[in-house]
Amino acid sequence: MARRHQSKFALIGCAIVLGLMAGSAPGFAQGTAAPPAPPPAATTAPMPAPFSQDCQIGNAAIVEASPLPHVAAALQTRKQIRILAIGAASLGPRRTGPGGHTDAIRQILQKAITGLDVVMINRGVSGELSAQAAVRIKNEVALTEPDLVLWQVGTNDALAYVPIEEFETTVIDTLHWLKHHKIDVVLVGLQYVDRMAQDQHYAKVREALRKIAAEENVMIVRRYEAQRLLIQAEGSGGGLVPDEFQRTEVGYACLAQYMARAITLGIFGQRLRVIPIIPPPAPQPR
Amino acid sequence: MTRQANAIDFWRGLALISIFINHIPGIYYSRFTHTNYSLSDSADLFVFLAGWALRYVVGPSGRQQAAWYLALRLGGRALTLYAAQIMITMIAIAMLAGAAIWRDNPLLLEWHNAAAVFHDPVPTHIGLALITHQLGYFDILPLYVVLMMMAPGFALIDRFAPGLVLPVSLLIYGVTLGFQIAVPTWPVEGEWFFNPLAWQLIFVLGFVLARQDGAGGFVRRHIVAIRLASIPIVAAALFVVLYDWWPDPTTVPQPRLFFLLSKTYVTPARVLQFLALIALFSATYPTIRRFAPWLVNFMSMLGRNSLYVFCVGSILSLSGQIIRFVYQGNIYSDTAVVVCGIAIMALTAWLPEWREDIRASSRS
Repeated sequence: MARRHQSKFALIGCAIVLGLMAGSAPGFAQGTAAPPAPPPAATTAPMPAPFSQDCQIGNAAIVEASPLPHVAAALQTRKQIRILAIGAASLGPRRTGPGGHTDAIRQILQKAITGLDVVMINRGVSGELSAQAAVRIKNEVALTEPDLVLWQVGTNDALAYVPIEEFETTVIDTLHWLKHHKIDVVLVGLQYVDRMAQDQHYAKVREALRKIAAEENVMIVRRYEAQRLLIQAEGSGGGLVPDEFQRTEVGYACLAQYMARAITLGIFGQRLRVIPIIPPPAPQPR
Repeated sequence: MTRQANAIDFWRGLALISIFINHIPGIYYSRFTHTNYSLSDSADLFVFLAGWALRYVVGPSGRQQAAWYLALRLGGRALTLYAAQIMITMIAIAMLAGAAIWRDNPLLLEWHNAAAVFHDPVPTHIGLALITHQLGYFDILPLYVVLMMMAPGFALIDRFAPGLVLPVSLLIYGVTLGFQIAVPTWPVEGEWFFNPLAWQLIFVLGFVLARQDGAGGFVRRHIVAIRLASIPIVAAALFVVLYDWWPDPTTVPQPRLFFLLSKTYVTPARVLQFLALIALFSATYPTIRRFAPWLVNFMSMLGRNSLYVFCVGSILSLSGQIIRFVYQGNIYSDTAVVVCGIAIMALTAWLPEWREDIRASSRS
């Protein structure tokens, strides 16, 4: 079923503007509270993790500085980074490769950075609110000693109508705790669906997360914007199935690429070579 | 003939209602469950009482069944639990699909680990059948299935060397925590939310303490002293929960799991607090029975039919989540969800007893 829409999705994918709006977010490229580690030495200038054609959006994601100093330091000293993935679990292996989209991140990073060993520790718990995740993050950090936490947060709180103040306090406290323990964070924001675009609480949670990321100088993958652009590019047609299935699959595959891109940008900052922009193919008649 | 109301069924009924409410994240009434004031929660109580119930299945030392018969019976119970898990999971998947179509909202297809079911169905259905893929909040029965599969082993040790049951359980628990042995999920990478290798300790504690002699006998003989000792433990845990007084997890010594507060691994502090809590609160049952017999009868009815009620409660919790989502989680919808949910759980418990009564009266 999914394969039937492959060509259509090549079009859609090309129109995706990634969720990683790092370059455009005010304050995003500023230094973190911890002094940034110097970018790791490399024989050739590293490249940011690439996008597939589906997720290609050119150089919009490139940032100017290194907001992941502890990951950069780990890379420099150990040639290994340990990434703890917290948040809702995702898809199985079919579209995103064996191990799901977090394993896809590992593979992309290892291809992008020569000699890098990436250890992905997947501790997603479905349906978990940020308050529950916050408690678990501390335990998991103590047990797994990661350099970076990938935290998918907000969607469950928005669906459960958790008060905004409560959500903000939880996320900020957790970010402070992680910062205090010299662990970098990449937040992954809420998902986009047409129906939720009008939901005020959903919008408030999304806005709160964006604001927190800006104020705390924490990298955020803006999944909502990416998916919205994908759907806008597709046009108005389509009900829930089967297009939605393919959207989701592409969405997860792209999400892995956005996260990997965010991490390479966070590590290397200005030292990245700019990837030549591949123009998207012209839309074909539907 | 249905059995009389008793403390075990009463507490099990309370645990079932508490699980139903706590499995609706964000609901107003969850603040009244003991989860918010305790290191342990209803899951601990539910598993402990399952172990306690195992003692009745095994029977007293004078009237024990043949080992093969016992193993077969417990295996049959595990199969029943497995069938229940598959059934409620399938209903939950259908509910999420239905809600997604009804609300034209594909986000609901990704709720609670369901994304892989819809988007990657081939391996995920194998995972569902193997119970290595579990929906969020539908993860207690898989634990129970594994515990029931382990039960013949513990029951046989109990028969031939009763003093070894708890040490064996503690050894498995200690190794699991010491080496951080996780039970993996598949096809979506992760680990079981309830680690059966750790949670078996709670189950075995229920089994051992239900015994009239041995550890159970010791507790009965010294229950007053144990209750007195439990007061500061329960009080200290209350402060830990309310004021977040537990040490920073990164500062505790290795192996860290022994010193953390983890539900997945039901860590020692949680076990200790749970035991103190049940020692203390078990004292309240006679008073509750005296002043609120209707409550005892009601809860006991739920507890007597715990598997049916648990299954229906799980479905009702998911319904509650969908209703909260549709009505944006206000006090009115929350009240309706809780009142209707408990009423339906009561109806679920009443129906089999009513059928049993009809059958009994037609025989006589």
